[in-house]
Amino acid sequence: MLSDISIGQFFPGNSLIHRLDPRVKLVLTFAYILLIFIPDNWIGLAVAILLLGMCIGLSRIPFKLFLKGLKPVIPLLVFTSIINIFYVEGQVLFSFWVLKITLEGIFTALFISIRILCLIAAGSLLTYTTSPTTLTDALERVLSPLKVLHISVHEIAMMMTIALRFIPTLIEETDKIMCAQKARGADMESGNLLQRVRALIPVLVPLFISSFRRAYELATAMECRCYHGGEGRTRMKQLHMVLRDYVALVVMAVFIGLLILSNVFIAPTI
Amino acid sequence: MALIETENCTLRYSAGTPFEREALHDVSVSIEEGEFVGVIGHTGSGKSSFVQLLNGLLKPESGRVLLDGRDIWESPKEIRKVRFEVGMVFQYPEYQLFEETVFKDIAFGPHNMGLSDEEIRERVVTAAEWVGLKAELLEKSPFELSGGEKRRAAIAGVMAMRPRVLILDEPTAGLDPRGRDLILNRIRAYQQEFHTTVLLVSHSMEDIARVADRVLVLNNGSVAMFETTDRIFSQAAELENMGLSVPAVTKIFAKLRERGFAVPDSVYTVETAKAALLTLLKGGADNAV
Repeated sequence: MLSDISIGQFFPGNSLIHRLDPRVKLVLTFAYILLIFIPDNWIGLAVAILLLGMCIGLSRIPFKLFLKGLKPVIPLLVFTSIINIFYVEGQVLFSFWVLKITLEGIFTALFISIRILCLIAAGSLLTYTTSPTTLTDALERVLSPLKVLHISVHEIAMMMTIALRFIPTLIEETDKIMCAQKARGADMESGNLLQRVRALIPVLVPLFISSFRRAYELATAMECRCYHGGEGRTRMKQLHMVLRDYVALVVMAVFIGLLILSNVFIAPTI
Repeated sequence: MALIETENCTLRYSAGTPFEREALHDVSVSIEEGEFVGVIGHTGSGKSSFVQLLNGLLKPESGRVLLDGRDIWESPKEIRKVRFEVGMVFQYPEYQLFEETVFKDIAFGPHNMGLSDEEIRERVVTAAEWVGLKAELLEKSPFELSGGEKRRAAIAGVMAMRPRVLILDEPTAGLDPRGRDLILNRIRAYQQEFHTTVLLVSHSMEDIARVADRVLVLNNGSVAMFETTDRIFSQAAELENMGLSVPAVTKIFAKLRERGFAVPDSVYTVETAKAALLTLLKGGADNAV
């Protein structure tokens, strides 16, 4: 049930994607998220999907996992699609009462849906192939120029590490508490909205209390190991860019160029 | 007929992902009414999964779980009724307390059963008495209690449902010796008074030896042994192969026998050990070789 949540999970492996420098992966994922919004024609969109498909293939992570991660966004997709189908002006396909469906509306809905799916899948690819610690390490490095603006990058990265680290722990804890309350006959699967919200109280109260307890314990444990912020901290694992990282950056740049060209030379669909 | 039994139950976790592992493999166990069963096994042997099968928190992938001869998954919507019949106290149950007062927390289960207020009050007070919680504690917030008291309040919360099968997952973990003795004694007394079937999961061989009639040994998700307590603890070598052991006092008696003292081989509690030693001493030097 709850343990089926796979967003933000890390699947250890040794594929090309796993071995890429995490900073490069972070930048590339961000670039891809921008890239997916470039194409305004089917061919461009297909090329963008192809790029993601290639990366997923290279990562050797079962495609099923990506589908599972995409499940929770379905309601969002349905919602945006409906809005798009009914509100975009253009060639009317059919209409009843005040509602009318346009060809452009359907195309826009499809484009937006595919973009959102690619976006989530690209984000999942990053977290599936990068361990949370390396990811926040990379984030700290990538954001380190912001130190000039007196933004405490290290603290932000540390908070993210801790937050990511505790997602599985909290999920497990929630699962346990839910089981314990179900064993006492708590009914969480039926009833109307209000009843369901009320049914969460026996889960949320113990969860909050144990989160605070964990926070205190963690703070003590960190102090015991003389943690005093990022100043003067060195790293055991130094990151080095190698040939494959540069190649990956070049490939991404080429794709961005291709997509911009496709927009210029192919008639836009939306 | 057995009160509760499992028939060839198999269970896998995270099926279809790289983390897939088999938690239980072809488990068939049958437990009679009024029995006190100890469940032992090393960490990850499937103890917790096994007990969660019995009250329908986990559903077996294949095989059946029978309560009174009826499959508990016959009508999945009625699974809550099974949970009232098969009460389960989880590990560290004090972390599930949530209500404003201890009384309300113990009343959570009976309340979910849809009982009348009078009936609930009667059950809460009785359950609190059974676990040795003083009446004045009932109106306090559960978070003001001491660790041992919280644990007992949580156990009372399940006892108040008056289940026919009471499952306790490591009820004594992390308690001081006095708290441990108190809980074990209360559970044993409760079991004898109400003729309840009790399953006690524990890592403490001493605890199991003190209270269990029969012991179920799980190893790598399969049933390794299911016999009377003295039979189990007479197989020290097999238990040690599975990462388990026998009570310390049983080890001492094995050593005594090796040295040639005529002591019985079925000693696994301090009480029987005391009796055996006294007979040995009274018998005088002629018993020694």
